[in-house]
Amino acid sequence: MELRKNLFCYLMVAPALLITLALGIVPMVTSLWWSFLDYDLIQAETAGETFVGWRNYQVVLSDQRFVTSLVNTVVMTVMVMALVVALGLLLAHVMNAKYRGRAIVRTLICAPWFVPPVVAAAIWVWMLDTDRSPINALLMDWGLIDGNLRFLTDTTDAGPLSLPLASVVAVRVWNGLPFVVIFLLAGMQSISRSLYEAASIDGASLIGRFRYITLPLLKPVLGVIVMLLLITGFGHFEINFIMTGGGPQDMTNVAAVYAYQQAFNFFRFDYASAASGVVFLMTSVICIFYIRAQIRKDK
Amino acid sequence: MDATVNPAVRQGQGIFSRYRRVDTITKLTVIAATVIALIYILLPIFWMLKSSFQTAAEIKQLPPKWIPDQIRLDSYQDINLLIPIWRYIFNSIYVSAAAALLATLIGTSAAYVLSRFRFPGMTLILVTILVTQLIPPITRVFPLYALIQDAGLLNTYTGLILSYAGFSLPFSILLLKGYFESSCPPEIEEAALVDGCSYISTFLRIILPISLPGLAAVTIFTFLNAWNDFLWASLLLNSSEMKTIQVGIGDLTAEGGGTRYVSMFMAACVLATVPALIMFIFVQRWLVSGLTSGSVK
Repeated sequence: MELRKNLFCYLMVAPALLITLALGIVPMVTSLWWSFLDYDLIQAETAGETFVGWRNYQVVLSDQRFVTSLVNTVVMTVMVMALVVALGLLLAHVMNAKYRGRAIVRTLICAPWFVPPVVAAAIWVWMLDTDRSPINALLMDWGLIDGNLRFLTDTTDAGPLSLPLASVVAVRVWNGLPFVVIFLLAGMQSISRSLYEAASIDGASLIGRFRYITLPLLKPVLGVIVMLLLITGFGHFEINFIMTGGGPQDMTNVAAVYAYQQAFNFFRFDYASAASGVVFLMTSVICIFYIRAQIRKDK
Repeated sequence: MDATVNPAVRQGQGIFSRYRRVDTITKLTVIAATVIALIYILLPIFWMLKSSFQTAAEIKQLPPKWIPDQIRLDSYQDINLLIPIWRYIFNSIYVSAAAALLATLIGTSAAYVLSRFRFPGMTLILVTILVTQLIPPITRVFPLYALIQDAGLLNTYTGLILSYAGFSLPFSILLLKGYFESSCPPEIEEAALVDGCSYISTFLRIILPISLPGLAAVTIFTFLNAWNDFLWASLLLNSSEMKTIQVGIGDLTAEGGGTRYVSMFMAACVLATVPALIMFIFVQRWLVSGLTSGSVK
């Protein structure tokens, strides 16, 4: 009986495990292995794949373009995370409150969810076109600016911050918001209404109720969301790639786009693997922090 | 009368009314912030829709025109001149649906035993699946590309379908595992097992039918994941008629085709969004509950 049960379990799990290993674990380990090899795709036939130790990491980390893209990766990820969580809390609150027309507001807030990232990037590129941007037109009408803002091409910068970087961040926030809102809404709905009723009888203000009931009880959900946003943010590729391809002057370049360029523009799979190895290290650090926090909580 | 009122209550009322005034201000601020957020959220979608009904000349007019003179459907007819859009959409639907079915089939059986039974190596399997979920896609793209190439699956739908199913599996399994644990009472299958049903027939005849809502949620989730993908499809497919719709649109953006044929381009964007929209409306109702029971725990 026990044997039959185990056999059944292994048979049921086997396909999923095989696919996960083949498409997840094996490529990941291979990628780490490649980051220690000499792997120039153009010369691979003749040069072979020899072990070169940390050379690829040294090459990549002393490349000014990679350092820039790493800084951008962190800056953009943190900005996206902060904005998405702040806006997400506001909108989830609005979706959770009771009033007439709530269903419509809910649908409208979730609208960007069904817009594919590529389409989102493409529309925004058009919306942020220097000459024809409706946003520029509005700002001009209101007298807030003198000349058109060059959303995606302005090259004045302040440290890692620049207008193109802010524009790409805005689009990433736009694209990532609905998922976080739904996640937070699910969390808010699991908070008992009686807590709020008790608090309002005691005379707590709206802000007080949010500060002392909603926030503390949402903490576990917020923890998961922040971790997910950091992990997906560090490896983010699509919107940066489509909107600017990393430009102008690498101002919106991120680690994933840099790795892509190394692999498919310069055919250096070794440098690409080293760059993604750095991304992997960053996400691992986040995971370890998160798991440690979880363990401490369980104790 | 006044003398009978407890002073503490009167004081309490005072506090209450003071908070009411503060609350009104808070509410107005929240409403104002929500309106601004809604403009930010809806403006691009409105812009895409209205542009798809205009002529290219009208879109490029300065200052920008907010409302089209008339609703034109020309760009939806002409779009075929720009890219074989219907072919691309069909490709996308085919690949996404196949991946979704495959991932749900494999994911369900794994999630079921992982949520119901204890067997040696189970924790290790769970951890493996979890770790895969946490790997950033870029760290596996390059070797996976080589792997697919070696397997002779480059430029085939099989390669794409297998990869999409694989990418979505970890999340599907975690979601379904949560679903089985929270929404399917184990008593039913225990009764079936006692009655002499084999494990496999219990799973097929009892568990699958009652967990259809969860299965549907996971299928649609995987479908949308595959539908939205650009990076992987653009790497694996290079024959032009096999492209998915996202690759078609991404290529147009990169080539600047978006500027010259902007009305057709916007129509393509609308068409690339509609199937996802239909799926979304379909799934919206139980998405919140699916997320609550699945991954927040």
